[in-house]
Amino acid sequence: MILASLITYPQAVLLGLLQGVSELFPVSSLGHSVILPGLLGWNIHQNDKYFISFLVATHLATAIVLVFFFWRDWVRIVKGLGRSLRDREIAPGDSDAKLAWLLIVGTIPAGILGVALQDKLQHVFASQKSAALFLCLNGLVLYGAELLRRRAPVHEKGDPDDRIARRVGWKEAAGVGTAQALALIPGFSRSGASMGGGLLVGLSNEDAARYAFLLATPIIGAAAILKLPDLMGHDGNGVRGQALVASLCSAVTAYLAVRFLMRFFETNRLTPFAVYCFLAGLGCLLYFVS
Amino acid sequence: MKKNRALILPAVALGIALIVIAIVYWVEPAKSLPSFFPGHDSHSTTHHLKHGIAAFLVGLVAFAFAWFQTGGPRTKTATK
Repeated sequence: MILASLITYPQAVLLGLLQGVSELFPVSSLGHSVILPGLLGWNIHQNDKYFISFLVATHLATAIVLVFFFWRDWVRIVKGLGRSLRDREIAPGDSDAKLAWLLIVGTIPAGILGVALQDKLQHVFASQKSAALFLCLNGLVLYGAELLRRRAPVHEKGDPDDRIARRVGWKEAAGVGTAQALALIPGFSRSGASMGGGLLVGLSNEDAARYAFLLATPIIGAAAILKLPDLMGHDGNGVRGQALVASLCSAVTAYLAVRFLMRFFETNRLTPFAVYCFLAGLGCLLYFVS
Repeated sequence: MKKNRALILPAVALGIALIVIAIVYWVEPAKSLPSFFPGHDSHSTTHHLKHGIAAFLVGLVAFAFAWFQTGGPRTKTATK
């Protein structure tokens, strides 16, 4: 086996660009990384160890971009966490402390389900047909969340972190966090599930997107860091250079994606992404079945 | 968050139990884990590092929860 031919540099560039966008757009990065090689006839499979190691680098790049994009929020959140531990309470009106604990409460179920189910689910649903089918269903989930939303889509003024802390309770945080676990199935989107959950608990699209990105950062970052030794070890042989190139591409598109989405959701809904997922999933399903 | 001192002891006990579970995950290979532990595999010699980290972090959250319950009644608003 010639390791250098596992993933070519042009493939790495394309996968990196796609990963950065699809990780943050509510359209399932995992689903796209399963479907795209099938559509283009690449001999790359989602559960190949070298491919998982390769994807780790792109995930890490996305997480780093998210941390830098929301850097001021994270500084406030960490300070709020420290204040709450010092005072042994979340003081009334301390939205930073409340948001910190909401993120922790939301991350716990997603983390536990990820650790317990990730390998099993991704082996069971590794085929391109199932990814296409679940991409279709992801479209329906996004559309359903828009239909069932509690709040009209209006642009709100003031501090978004304050609004999130006011409107999201502990049970809702756990629920939205649990919804993220849907993304363990290729085709379902993590950000889509948490944005949809945010709408259902009464957040606006803008706040739901912000909360989804904040909630995703620790999970994406931790999963990538834990897998990083694989990329540095035997499984990374032959793909490290490509992974570096892909992660740089991923960082650029992730930055552009988060910037675009935070503006887009000031006035827009999830509906375009729902339509895209449904039609793309349906089209790919028909292609793979035929 | 309402404070309830009766929850301190169960939360501390849960925290200790989870950290013990984390240590078991880190020290024992998958085949030596108790059969009711997620990740037990009688043929595998790998260590479930991620399971251990998850148990450890949830254990810390349980300790934090207990710590919150030890505080006095709420008296003031936040000064950021």
